[in-house]
Amino acid sequence: MSLLALTEIWKRFGATTALAGARFTLGAGEVHALVGANGAGKSTLSRVISGQLQPDSGSIVLDGKTMRFAGARDAIRAGIAMVTQETSLAPDLSVLENIMLPRLGMPGRLDWGAMRREARHLVTRLGAEAGIAIGARVRDLTIGQRQIVEILKALALDSRIIIFDEPTAPLSPHETERLFDMIRNLAATLHGIVFVSHRLEEIFALSDRVTVLREGRVAADAVPTRELTQGELIRLMVGRELSDIYARAERGTTAPVGTSLGTPLGTPLGAPVLRVSHLSAPPRVRDVSFTVHAGEILGLAGLVGAGRSETLETIFGLRPARGGTIELDGRPFTPATPREAIRKGIGLIPEDRRGQGTVPDFSVRENLLLAHLGAHRGPGLAYRLRDAAVRRLLALLGLPEQRLLDANLLTFSGGMQQKVILARWLVLSPRLLLLDEPTRGVDIATRSSIYALLRRIAAEGVASVVVSSDFEEVIGLADRIVVLSDGVDVTSIPSALVDIEKLGMFAAPRSSAERTHTVLEGLVARHGGRAFWISVEHGRVFCFDCVGTDAEADPGFAGGSFPEIAATRIQEALARKAPGFVTEPRNGLTTLLVPIHGRRGHDLGMVGLTLARATHAPDGAALARAITADLETETEREAA
Amino acid sequence: MSETTETRSSETRTGETKPDAAPRRRLPARLLHLLATQIELRMLLLIIVVMAVLSRISPYFLTTNNLLNVMDQSVIAGMVALGQTLVILIGGIDLSVGALTGVSAIMLGLTFPKLGVPVAVLICLASGGALGLVNGVIITFGRIAPFVVTLGMMSIGRSMAYVLSGANSIGNIPDSLAALTTDSVFGIPLDFLCLIVVYAIGWVFLTFAKGGRTLYAIGSNAEAARIAGLSINLWSITAYVVAGLMSAVAAVFLTSKILSIDPIGGSGEELDSIAAVVIGGASLFGGRGSIIGTLAGVFIMVFIRNGLNLLNVSPYWQGTAIGSIIIAAVLVERLLSGGRSRA
Repeated sequence: MSLLALTEIWKRFGATTALAGARFTLGAGEVHALVGANGAGKSTLSRVISGQLQPDSGSIVLDGKTMRFAGARDAIRAGIAMVTQETSLAPDLSVLENIMLPRLGMPGRLDWGAMRREARHLVTRLGAEAGIAIGARVRDLTIGQRQIVEILKALALDSRIIIFDEPTAPLSPHETERLFDMIRNLAATLHGIVFVSHRLEEIFALSDRVTVLREGRVAADAVPTRELTQGELIRLMVGRELSDIYARAERGTTAPVGTSLGTPLGTPLGAPVLRVSHLSAPPRVRDVSFTVHAGEILGLAGLVGAGRSETLETIFGLRPARGGTIELDGRPFTPATPREAIRKGIGLIPEDRRGQGTVPDFSVRENLLLAHLGAHRGPGLAYRLRDAAVRRLLALLGLPEQRLLDANLLTFSGGMQQKVILARWLVLSPRLLLLDEPTRGVDIATRSSIYALLRRIAAEGVASVVVSSDFEEVIGLADRIVVLSDGVDVTSIPSALVDIEKLGMFAAPRSSAERTHTVLEGLVARHGGRAFWISVEHGRVFCFDCVGTDAEADPGFAGGSFPEIAATRIQEALARKAPGFVTEPRNGLTTLLVPIHGRRGHDLGMVGLTLARATHAPDGAALARAITADLETETEREAA
Repeated sequence: MSETTETRSSETRTGETKPDAAPRRRLPARLLHLLATQIELRMLLLIIVVMAVLSRISPYFLTTNNLLNVMDQSVIAGMVALGQTLVILIGGIDLSVGALTGVSAIMLGLTFPKLGVPVAVLICLASGGALGLVNGVIITFGRIAPFVVTLGMMSIGRSMAYVLSGANSIGNIPDSLAALTTDSVFGIPLDFLCLIVVYAIGWVFLTFAKGGRTLYAIGSNAEAARIAGLSINLWSITAYVVAGLMSAVAAVFLTSKILSIDPIGGSGEELDSIAAVVIGGASLFGGRGSIIGTLAGVFIMVFIRNGLNLLNVSPYWQGTAIGSIIIAAVLVERLLSGGRSRA
């Protein structure tokens, strides 16, 4: 019997239907992934489960009993807890006090000794001994440690169901691994785990079953994870409807593609507008270089914490640069304040719409004209100057003109608010737009019109840089994608050439990239030559990592490059993909390629070793076995 | 996560306010709607009600003499409250305004015998503005809570007033200074006219000037204002400078009115000014408030004090009356703004 079963859950917010008959079942001892694109309804559903939202209709059955939660408190009492990114801890209290907080409110004397013993017991049960000291003040803990405290707090309340809502977004690779171990420990003690995420790697690494939501409906109902491939999961998440919304038809997906190594492919669309070279702004931005041309939409992809937002903020003058240069139209540009950037024709649509975008006490009109006010020289307002532009923009965005005088922007839907904030910059006719997660919290219909708008202004010659955690969105929207990983740009690739899997590998998925890199270094140390991690598809090599300095053994690609097979120096090996060393007839290079797979057997490309001369080659079959074994040991060593 | 909260809150709010849902309402409904949305109108109505009640209770209330008296009493509080309004609009607070009135009055008293009244007044205003600048710079660049910084400045200012004056009163105020409060134009006291002129300038600034709108934007969402390119540091500091300056202006009128300068001068103005701003509908979290609301708040406080005097109520009751009005004003604001009020 399942621990929890939700059936036919409907939830509407005004005109938007967030959940349209969603289902979800959770068994004891199971990690159940709840998956979906932005706006698919996964957060709404998890908030229904945790009692924070009440469904319009539908039933929630817990342990065979029908439940009706009036609020999060009811759900907590019933044994359902939620661990979110923003923790709800009291920063000035100790870990112990936070864990036992619900008990501090009860009458009677507190038995600190018993509470301390109980807390220690919970820590042991979770397997978190190394990570947490119960006497520490929560203020002094890292985000990862705070999450552990949240979990302990849930355990202290005897929660049997724990919902994790995108828990890994702020975590370091090491912390993520530790969290996953704890989640597995919890599942092993018959807790039911709901794991909300859109990160495929994690879903495959952790979950037993997957439920996919798409536009509030169940696209895959509790499918065992091992029966799915990444490709299938993506198709389930995205569906045909969504892939059509990017409005890129007019450009076509078969743009002429050059072959030069490591440089952006495709025809440049206009003159370079922004050129960033070796930009650094510690701690997040370490060495970032890219160029955006007039009329181009550049995607800035990567994981949370890769330094994408910080790169935009540095270009916009919100954050000082420590090193590197920024050039605007070929002239050096070092903005000290946003105002300087704005006056040069740059606009920034920030990530946090509520915290950084809207001015709640201003009318819609004044919100729309806020950047105008910042750019305006002179003591007055000069709102009238922009009347014509405002009217034109409203028509373009499909906003009724009389709503301009609405007293409060917050009465608008998230999508409408985002349109107004976009319009705030478009009013200034910018030359460069920086957009940070422009469609977060925006419904599908509005997303589509935002994409169309971005396309349109690109056609008018505006250069855009779009940061998005949604790889699907980056690929659909951008002409070219620069992938950042740990504050360094690792590749610049036309979006027509990549898919979500390869983008994920470029963005260095924490659990696999590091161990692969260690193995590559070991290969070069023992055998010399060049060792690399690649994926071969559609006649192209995508190189995610390459180690070694032997110029003679250069395979014709480097980390981050993606040449056609014909343009590499190891065509024969790539074409044959045979086991054992393959020697090139033309240049004498000899190459071993070993296919690698993830823990659950999904394809992770190939690890290869190229040597300058076949005579020095070791036994290929034995080395292939050794590489596979090395990768597995690394995996186990990390898990331990 | 965020999408759901936003859509939900937007839904409930449209349900409550419906700004464009009913353009053709009946007259009473439209009046109510105007009242609910226009704080200035609400304040005017409140003043009329207070005046009506007081004139019914005391026949003396509406006499010319008493009205002149009321005008006279509103000048000093009004001057200080104007500066306080700007500070509260950016989400700050200035506890030092009373002490700054005290210390700048002493500066006036120490300099007029040698330098003459015009130069002495300039020195007085400059010292108020300069101490306000110190407040603003420390709060803005030191990132210290305005409550703490201005609390410190309140102590420093009062102490300086005693040190500079040797704890003595200064008398022999020249006639030219006294004339500020004794002269009148077309029967209206000169000092009251000054107040009106200053408020008119303040209103124009807050409504039509970039700086004024920037103050509102800072209080409402400073981060959004910064990203939009507004000079938030400059205008935040300006608000504190104006608060200091207006304290000094009040010092000049105070001197002119009581014809003596005392280091204790201006005591209690900080709380009176905050009370006037809050009664006038401003949010202590910033972003909301109006200059006309503040002026109305000043009048209401003066009326209540005046009315209680006329009724021979013990002055000890004044605090209870004013305090109740402050709390009631915020409650009413919250009800009218549909729970959105944050003060």
